Amino acid sequence: MKNYDGVSAELAAVDGRKRLNMDKVMTAVCFVLLLIIVVIPIVMIIFNAFFNEGRLELGTFVTQVTDGKNLDAMWNTLKIALGATVLGTVMGVFYAWLLGRSDIPAKGLMRALFNIPYMFPPFLGAMAWDMMFNGRSGYINKFLRTLLGLKTMPININSVWGIIFVEVSYYFPFVFMQVVSALERMDPTLEESARIAGARQRQVIWKITLPLVKPAISAGALLILTTSLAHFGVPAILGYARGIYTLPTRIYAVIYNSGGSFDGIRQGAALSVMLVVVVSLALILQNRILSAGSYDIIKGKSMRPTLIKLRGARVPLLVLAILTLVLIVIVPLVMIVLISFLKAYGLPLEFKNFTLDQYRTVFASNGTIDAIKNSLFVSITAGIICMFLGTLVAYVVQKIRPKGKGALEVISMLPYAIPGTVLSIGVILAWSGRIAGINLYNTIWIILVAYLARYLSFSMKTSSAALLQVHSSLEEAARVCGASHTESLKDITLPLIRPAMVSGFFLIFLPAMREVTTSILLYGPYTRTLGVQIYSLRDAGMIPQAAALATVAIGIIILLNTLVTRLTRDRKGV
Amino acid sequence: MANVKFDHITVRYGSHTVLQDFSLDVESGKIVCLVGPSGCGKTTLVRALLGLNKPETGVITVGERCLFDAKKHVNVPAEKRNIGIVFQDYAVWPHMTVLENVSYPLKKQRRPKEEIRERVMHALEQVHMTEYARHLPNQLSGGQQQRVAIARALVVDSDVLVMDEPITNLDAKLREEMLLEIRMIQKRLNATILYITHDQQSALQLCDKMAIMQQDGTLCQYGTDEEIILHPANRFTFEFIGVSNFIPLRQAGSGLALDCGELIPYTGEVPPQAENGGFDLGVRPNDIVFDPASPLKARVDSRVFLGSEYNYFLSLGQKQIRVQQSMLDARTRGVAKEGETVGISFLNTRFYPTQKGEQTP
Repeated sequence: MKNYDGVSAELAAVDGRKRLNMDKVMTAVCFVLLLIIVVIPIVMIIFNAFFNEGRLELGTFVTQVTDGKNLDAMWNTLKIALGATVLGTVMGVFYAWLLGRSDIPAKGLMRALFNIPYMFPPFLGAMAWDMMFNGRSGYINKFLRTLLGLKTMPININSVWGIIFVEVSYYFPFVFMQVVSALERMDPTLEESARIAGARQRQVIWKITLPLVKPAISAGALLILTTSLAHFGVPAILGYARGIYTLPTRIYAVIYNSGGSFDGIRQGAALSVMLVVVVSLALILQNRILSAGSYDIIKGKSMRPTLIKLRGARVPLLVLAILTLVLIVIVPLVMIVLISFLKAYGLPLEFKNFTLDQYRTVFASNGTIDAIKNSLFVSITAGIICMFLGTLVAYVVQKIRPKGKGALEVISMLPYAIPGTVLSIGVILAWSGRIAGINLYNTIWIILVAYLARYLSFSMKTSSAALLQVHSSLEEAARVCGASHTESLKDITLPLIRPAMVSGFFLIFLPAMREVTTSILLYGPYTRTLGVQIYSLRDAGMIPQAAALATVAIGIIILLNTLVTRLTRDRKGV
Repeated sequence: MANVKFDHITVRYGSHTVLQDFSLDVESGKIVCLVGPSGCGKTTLVRALLGLNKPETGVITVGERCLFDAKKHVNVPAEKRNIGIVFQDYAVWPHMTVLENVSYPLKKQRRPKEEIRERVMHALEQVHMTEYARHLPNQLSGGQQQRVAIARALVVDSDVLVMDEPITNLDAKLREEMLLEIRMIQKRLNATILYITHDQQSALQLCDKMAIMQQDGTLCQYGTDEEIILHPANRFTFEFIGVSNFIPLRQAGSGLALDCGELIPYTGEVPPQAENGGFDLGVRPNDIVFDPASPLKARVDSRVFLGSEYNYFLSLGQKQIRVQQSMLDARTRGVAKEGETVGISFLNTRFYPTQKGEQTP
């Protein structure tokens, strides 16, 4: 009467062992892929920094590390990163509090607007600021000089402070977004209790609110710090010409000047080790200063916090917030668009000098179309592969929990802390014919491999968080209901984490579209990405053309972002 | 329907042994409640039965069918064991409607569509959820989700139905109703139900037989509810099922005395091994009666009326004891007032060796 007649106990036992093997296969696949994508490039850097043709040779490393220019670059990197982190954190927390906890008007609109700097590619921002405040030829500089009758330019953006300013403008949203959501999820009774206990408003902010969101601040600050240390675009555009180097730009310079020779790449590897040491030190330091505690009082569900009345300060603070947005979003955007219509860079911004020629030239050249195609191809491919691979790693770590799960987790998160420039060098060293004769150099595939390593942690994080929400009893219930292990994955787990996987894809696709740090070292004659193309046009002095392409790029990014928001909104509605 | 036999099961998590040589035979067509404090290994045992963890030693059989045998390397995978389960946290799949949830086990058996529809609707009827068939779980209350889980377990003709605390999230009235419903379902299907709970009240209401598990994962008694209440095998069972008073018994002079901060002579009957003291006297609150003639006097601290009985706290010396007086008794003998001193006598006493240095839970 029961339908298990066909399955003898012995046969079922074999089946039982097969299930065990599927877990093992998934674990093994994870290890192998991570080994190829992450471990090999990193090992190659360390190996090549210290060894030459199989023998230990510390000469290159010592020369590079003690070189005055490189030490200057390291010092600049630290100054810029610390400056950007401190100022960006203060700015992020301030605006998060203003929009999260005060009664400032038009809050919803302001929230949306404050996320724009996050989408805005920083190196395009740097380009715009350079057009305005370049120490020699900035448009606004020239205008101010005539207006004030000065002999020298009033503002020089091509300085360490200039770089810090631009990085703060586009990195403060890291802190802002984290803190705003923490403030919104915080139990308002915690603050109310302090008021009832007799604390003043100011005391509540300093003694209750800020300490409670400290973990969020800390996480955001860490993000600014590591991003800034590894960042190529802004210091390259603002500092390069003036001999202000940071470690990432210095690495690029060393390799570029050596014409891509192996010796140059070895020097780059030595510098990379230096940069990794700096990043690690910064991480340790950050841990000491802002040791992230975890508080349970921040609840997952959202509650309505009591808003603080700004009274007389309401309008001035609103004006300040709007001015900030205008300054860091609108002004650079307008500048880029205006320049893109100029006949030649340096001509006054007057209507008679405007033309559409730049756009015609840009689109007439094969390079542009190829760059857009390349960027779309690597971004989409990297997004899709990372989405599946990240989910696989997350599943192995969260659900299968094999012996080496800690190692697996660390390996997959490692590239998150390793600068894109460094990763590129590792990828060059690994995949230019030295391992099993695989030579990907000058092909699009080498960029793809680098993107995989760089962005894997993004999708792994989102999938991991989603898997944590899928209680193991859901899969077990399916098993008991007669589903095999594979069926329970297909019917239960995957559908439940699908939204997270999709958002993981976009989390990779969007930044990859405008990426420049990694691809600048990896591109070949026919494999320029959108970011690289803009950078090279500008580097070649064709600034209006670069501006035209930048305008197009910003258009694409805005379009894709709107699309994503639409898509994800629809998903929530179901 | 089939009987379930656990034979010398040992389960370890790392170095921590949860179950050691555990044996239990659950008779066919009975509701057996597995009762024990939290963390005693009830859920571990059930997971071993379901095939969700792997014991180190032992044999598990359901009816004639061997599901697990450590020596013969038999380990039937979970999906082929044909056991229905209602998980403690419902485990209702949030992305499927109630209908999809309940039909899933039948779909996995590749039943014809017509049959699936019929059986699902029947299962939903049994748990009064027909009108919610098209709802998603997040549109349901906790209790409704639990009923969906029950329907999902009922929909297949399982050999055995396992319920892991399935009614904890229901309100009192619905709980009562569900317990009756489970009883009815069991009668109708003549299923073997293994019901896991730490709540002795629902266990008493529901079960044919009870298995009492101790904190360390050993089975201390298996029998009908009457046997367990009237003849508890040991102190743990006595203490765990129902409310109990314990008073240490000491030797004082030539006789015995109750140690209640001060020594109160005790003249009641005592088994021979307890004659030299070192034992605790255990008595249920409803086995203590007011008896003006008794030499044992206590003061009434408080009295609460509970609808069908009175609940007293009395001071016997320095020790507080609990007494329950049924309505019948209260009608015939009258109630004691707060502050009054009354005579009491113990009807059904038990004696257990005093536990040394151990805090009674």
